[in-house]
Amino acid sequence: MSRRLGIFVDRKTLASAEQLTALIHCRDVAEARGLDVDFIFPVDISKIPKMDALFIRARTDPMNVTYVAAQMAAFHGIPVIDDPASIRICSDKVNMYSHLMKKDVAIPRTVFLSKNDLSVERVARLFDELGTPLIVKEPSTSFSLRVEKVNDISGFFQVARRFIRLSDWIVAQQYIESRYDWRVGVLGGNLLYACKYTIPSVTFKIQASVNGHVVYCGVESVPEHAIPPHVVRLGKEAATAVGSGLYGVDIKNNNGDAYVIEVNDNPSLESGEDGCYPDIYEQIVDHLLPGDTP
Amino acid sequence: MNHRGNVTLARASAPAAASTVQPAFPHPFPGHKGEKHLPAEVFVNAHRANGHHENGLLRDSLHVLEQDGVWHVISEDYSYKTEPYYTILSYELMGRDVRPASSTVLDAYVVPICLERARQAGIPVAEWGVSQGYVPLPSIIYGLNYFATSADFFEVRDGKKAKEVIAHVTNKGKYPFCFQKIPADAAIRSCTSIFGRTTGSCPAVAGLARKIYRVFNIPLVTLVFVRTKKGWLLSSLAPARYSRISGDERALLTAYLSRRELP
Repeated sequence: MSRRLGIFVDRKTLASAEQLTALIHCRDVAEARGLDVDFIFPVDISKIPKMDALFIRARTDPMNVTYVAAQMAAFHGIPVIDDPASIRICSDKVNMYSHLMKKDVAIPRTVFLSKNDLSVERVARLFDELGTPLIVKEPSTSFSLRVEKVNDISGFFQVARRFIRLSDWIVAQQYIESRYDWRVGVLGGNLLYACKYTIPSVTFKIQASVNGHVVYCGVESVPEHAIPPHVVRLGKEAATAVGSGLYGVDIKNNNGDAYVIEVNDNPSLESGEDGCYPDIYEQIVDHLLPGDTP
Repeated sequence: MNHRGNVTLARASAPAAASTVQPAFPHPFPGHKGEKHLPAEVFVNAHRANGHHENGLLRDSLHVLEQDGVWHVISEDYSYKTEPYYTILSYELMGRDVRPASSTVLDAYVVPICLERARQAGIPVAEWGVSQGYVPLPSIIYGLNYFATSADFFEVRDGKKAKEVIAHVTNKGKYPFCFQKIPADAAIRSCTSIFGRTTGSCPAVAGLARKIYRVFNIPLVTLVFVRTKKGWLLSSLAPARYSRISGDERALLTAYLSRRELP
């Protein structure tokens, strides 16, 4: 009997034709490897124990239904990407940076602040410690939402008051200027792909709303031989500090020094990241269910 | 120049052995150079709360008890990204044996995960499902999204109310929700568990509270049950407010905080 791969999707977070095409491609790859594939929607969560592996392709957060899917798989001993621990760590920047810190992975200077620490004196000291401007992040930000650059104490408080409504702790971080971010895809501790996300000139983020319009970064897939070795090394280190699943590590490479900006679970794979790496899905399927290569 | 490891964890409590404390001071991240130890500052204050002199049972106050190398974090609410959640996380990152675990509190407050984990431990639980629109009647409905809390649940017995509630908990269809089909004659009951103990509950509920505590290790939590002819079924675990617990529950909790009772 064929083994079954579940692909967990949420039609509410499917945002583009490219995402749909990528899902179909993933299904085709798995079927070509002799697997039966079921798309699992939130209402189908009870089917997860019948799967042999689960690949989550929906927006992850410990408070939403994707985490329920990941935990259901874990409770039943089913291999899953993204696993619950990776979701917990990557969805929360306090947790994520703490794990990177623990493993001595290079990150920008970073401070966690409780809502009870938000005094003018503390924030003034923060600018002394981290420099000006600095970056303020709400811990569960994704797609560069709730990430702001601030230039002074007043600007800091404007942003912090907004973020503190969503989290008792926030993150303040040294600003590192760059024209592009490296995105290093890592699977099971090994390089899966790499690309450059070119920052739009009108913003400092890979995605931003500018004058009411969403501005996206450019994506350029880069072959392995053209990636600086220390960037690959740092990407692997960062991913391994989180777990052994699938991650997209964002790295700024500034004057030869590389810093991890964040580790993403459930990294985007449908925007051209795989241009130089056509077998990404084959590797993911083989990682989840080894031994089905035709 | 690389800046490695320059992170500060601001605010986490740091008890000396076998003491109750409130978090009120920052400490550096434990992995940070030269900062291996938590400060051992302790203060046990008698606060006046809700007309009673209590051992620190102020709204949002957080207490940590150490017993035999296990650190028990006591709070009204352990929700994601709250001060208690981050306190637990910081203890874990320091390698402490802390209870509840950060993963456990997330499991506890997301209803389907809570019920599956409890079921696997042999605790009878309400039959549940995830839906985006349909719900059998009668049912209990819980939100299942970033903004939902297990403290908010809705008993629906007719289609009109079900439609209103579903629109509310799903933000007009944006998110899925969790439902629990209940028998027509079922009743929903709740009680407070303090280190797995209840006050004034029947032996069946008291036994379930002990089992639930062994699974989740949450010192202070509201247990929500569905009472049926066949017995009690766990429906959810939810935060428990100091201001809403009974006098007996308050006395029991205070006994733990002042170490007259041990976890």
